[in-house]
Amino acid sequence: MIPSDHFVRFYNEVFKFLDKRDGLEAYYKEISRHQELHCLQLFMEKGLQGMEEYWGHIRVEENCICTSYIKDEVRYSYMSRCPSLSKVLDSDAEPCRKYCLHCPGWVAPLMTKCGFYYIKYLRALDQPECYSVFTEYKDKIEAIRQDLIRQGFKYIFTNLDDSEAVEINRTKRHQIQKAHQ
Amino acid sequence: MLRYQENNELHRDFHGTTNTTLNYIADHYGVDALKMILRKTGHDVYKSIREKLEKGDASELIEHLNWFFYRERGKYQLTVSENEIVFEVFECPAIRHLRKLKLDPSPHVCLQTSEVNAGMCEGTPWHSEVKIIGEGHCVQTFRKEADHDSK
Repeated sequence: MIPSDHFVRFYNEVFKFLDKRDGLEAYYKEISRHQELHCLQLFMEKGLQGMEEYWGHIRVEENCICTSYIKDEVRYSYMSRCPSLSKVLDSDAEPCRKYCLHCPGWVAPLMTKCGFYYIKYLRALDQPECYSVFTEYKDKIEAIRQDLIRQGFKYIFTNLDDSEAVEINRTKRHQIQKAHQ
Repeated sequence: MLRYQENNELHRDFHGTTNTTLNYIADHYGVDALKMILRKTGHDVYKSIREKLEKGDASELIEHLNWFFYRERGKYQLTVSENEIVFEVFECPAIRHLRKLKLDPSPHVCLQTSEVNAGMCEGTPWHSEVKIIGEGHCVQTFRKEADHDSK
């Protein structure tokens, strides 16, 4: 058994293997499908509040140093110390230089499936710090993206290019939420 | 002393992600590739355990087995003698959690034990072996070569 404490160090080895074979993107999609087990119903039924519940639980179990809040139908999250990258940097094995990419790699397809726009940004790939924003309003994420570009952020990840699917799934989510009211 | 001191909260759902990953790598790249990744994890991530084994010091390996299975509430018995460590796991915490998540354990689930253990022992006088007794029940043995003196 790989202890759950050490999973991310195994994950890092998987990323290095897949990166050499140009296989990261397909693997992220598989992880995204796996994560639906934990998140899909919660996010579809409770929306941003469901995200607060899920990542609130993750914050405790994974020992994150993170703050988040919802304001004007937008969820903001700031991770000031990511435990995942921190462990990978504190390892005798070499870190995968693309380690941070797995996070938007699985979150973005899940958000598209739940009908939310998402943007994640970070200053560097070797610092355990990042920002994420979630909302169902395309114009809000687009405005953040433009602002980040102006500020010179190098690493910006978003599902804005999948807006057609986001819009369809947003309608589905609204129907599910209405049925639960 | 453990190289990786872990004593905070646990995120057991990582066993589910490991399970999905084992299947994914085996299905797309083959079981040999999966074994290679796991063995490299044992060799590189647990360098500290391996380097101690090289010197004939099994203390970190023993502490590792005991601490992480205790921490995950595994049921096990650890028997240590000079040249042999026998670690019998009666209820694997990873498989127990997979069942809790209603996930079928990967057909490769026990490779994470056999290959990581083998990676830890690579280039050392120690050899590892895993006997599967039943679901979640195995005997892991680490045996030191009889004619190998500590460096």
